[in-house]
Amino acid sequence: MRLLVIEDYKPLQRSLTKGLSEAGFAVDYTGDGKEGLWYAKGSDYDVIILDLMLPGINGLDILKEIRNQGQKTHILILTAKDTVKDRVTGLDLGADDYLIKPFAFEELLARIRALLRRSYREKNPSIKIGDLQLDLTKQKVRRGREEIQLTSREYALLEYLAMRAGQTVSRSDIWEHVYEFNSSAYSNVVDVYIGYLRRKIERPNKPRLIHTIRGRGYALRAQS
Amino acid sequence: MKYSLRNHLLTGIIGGLVLLLAVFSLLVYVLIYNALIKRFDTSLLSMARILAASVEIDNDEIELEFELQQMQEFQDTDHPTYYQLWRADGTVVVKSALLGEDNLFLPASRLDELVFGQSRGRNNQPQRSVGLRFIPRVSDSDSKDYKEPTSEQTLALVVVRDAGDLYSQLMFLKLVLLSASIAVITLSFLVAAFIVRRGLAPLNAIAAEISAIKEDDLTARINTNSIPTEIVPIGNRLNELLSRLEEAFERERRFTADVAHELRTPLAGLRSTIEVTLMRARDRHEYQAVISDCLAIVENMQKMVINLLTLARLETHQVAFRREQINLAKLASSCWRPFSKTALERKVTFENNIPNGTILFSDSDNLAIVISNLFDNAVEYTNETGRIWATAKKSEACVEITIANTGCTLTNEQVSQVFDSFWRADSSRSHTDVHSGLGLAIVQRVVRALGGAASVKVQKGGIFAVRLVLPAADVPQ
Repeated sequence: MRLLVIEDYKPLQRSLTKGLSEAGFAVDYTGDGKEGLWYAKGSDYDVIILDLMLPGINGLDILKEIRNQGQKTHILILTAKDTVKDRVTGLDLGADDYLIKPFAFEELLARIRALLRRSYREKNPSIKIGDLQLDLTKQKVRRGREEIQLTSREYALLEYLAMRAGQTVSRSDIWEHVYEFNSSAYSNVVDVYIGYLRRKIERPNKPRLIHTIRGRGYALRAQS
Repeated sequence: MKYSLRNHLLTGIIGGLVLLLAVFSLLVYVLIYNALIKRFDTSLLSMARILAASVEIDNDEIELEFELQQMQEFQDTDHPTYYQLWRADGTVVVKSALLGEDNLFLPASRLDELVFGQSRGRNNQPQRSVGLRFIPRVSDSDSKDYKEPTSEQTLALVVVRDAGDLYSQLMFLKLVLLSASIAVITLSFLVAAFIVRRGLAPLNAIAAEISAIKEDDLTARINTNSIPTEIVPIGNRLNELLSRLEEAFERERRFTADVAHELRTPLAGLRSTIEVTLMRARDRHEYQAVISDCLAIVENMQKMVINLLTLARLETHQVAFRREQINLAKLASSCWRPFSKTALERKVTFENNIPNGTILFSDSDNLAIVISNLFDNAVEYTNETGRIWATAKKSEACVEITIANTGCTLTNEQVSQVFDSFWRADSSRSHTDVHSGLGLAIVQRVVRALGGAASVKVQKGGIFAVRLVLPAADVPQ
């Protein structure tokens, strides 16, 4: 899942980026409002974490601009402004969630996960495809009774496929949602990671789960 | 007793009315009294004249016509009229039969002089009397013996008539006037009380309106359209006071909100840095880096808390100021020291152009706070490879200190607000780190407390200059 952090207070920006990356998200970040808006318009983020008091352009203006463009990206406002009026204004302008500083990082993660589930119309925090089970909260993966250890990048890829289980997902979609804007990934990185995932998930005596749809991409589903 | 508008008005109205009624009643009474007495006396006098005219001297014999003596008036025992006639030597000629043994009182008088009087009769009845001296007619003036009457022949006549009716009429008039006055005063007291209460009702209304204003809602105003013009000024003054209060409360509220905001942000950074670090095991270098990040945040927060405390103390006048001799150039150098490292990193140069030997008398600790805050601000906002400098000019009465830096992109209009708490050019934190907008607010307040003034100006070429004017002389306190 790909996130954008727009926060100008450096210590917070650093820790957010680090914490979210370690939680398996692809994170882009900026401390400047105008740059943030440009990022948000340029790519399809799953969640944008937005501070309100920003140099260049105010967070609420960014929010308005994004919504005016018709973008449905989930936006979580992260701000020190704590009055009911501030919250109502933010939510009414089209924010999906509002978190007041200081906050527990765990809560931020939980809220981001909740927003992602909403994105993919998945209310259940665990997803089942055949005998493959993903616990989105704990980021644990099992096949049958066996627990499978994945790197955070592999998990992020599997989670994205699982969120869109049954659908064909193009390579560029995967690229967009799993990798940072400024990552130095090369063009066939998606195929390489699909290969890693298959090696860890597929079992020779069990049905295939990750299907290659020629010319279109990949699909995660129980039946072939 | 407390001064009461209501009592004051009531006593004024009623007092005035009582006085007016008293004067009026007295006037009416006197007029009617005089008229009645005059009428009575006139009739009495005409009676006396008739009597006098009927007296005849006939050869030294004095005669009073008999028919007259038998007149109804002299027989009426209910309202008797008496008469008595004297000679000049005081011997009684004739008197009313009704008098019996009694004599009437003969007042001293000259010829043709009328003497009206008042007396009491037998049953203590009020009576009015008239006395006159006259020379009687000589009966047969044609006779040859006719002699002009002489002064020895003057007679004195007194006629007294019962005036009980007259005085009871006057008494009745007195009673009527008195009771009418009392009735009018009683009625007018009620009417006045009603009018005064009605008249003062708007005061109660405005009091109710004021007491309805809650301390947490100062947007309420007194409606001056619905109150009488006399108290509109009071309403207006109250509304002005409310506006000022509202402004002050709003400033206070904004300040508190700003403080909360300024503390929340670094706190969020600190918490999230620590939480993210604790999510998994890390190597030594990573911990060290995180801890020094946290330390930097804490240092900033500490600076801000100290600034807030200074502001709070300045606002509640808890700061004591000393007056000591200060070497300004030295003070500026020592204030610069903590910023030299940051300046070096940003390739910003500092020039201390304060002439050596610039001495002023002030509070060195507080002046150091001012200068440090200005340097802090300058280091933060000067462009990279820019320049910061301090100069001073001393005149007899004051010292003018200017601290300036390059790289200012603001207009003069924008910087006019720099002394407001938490003001920032961009309504966001600066590009480097937390920098609360309290620094310049403190500068201004401390300088004011030191008896000086601070002003700020943007000069050509993006030079941001803060000018402080402080009293220089050692003023004995």
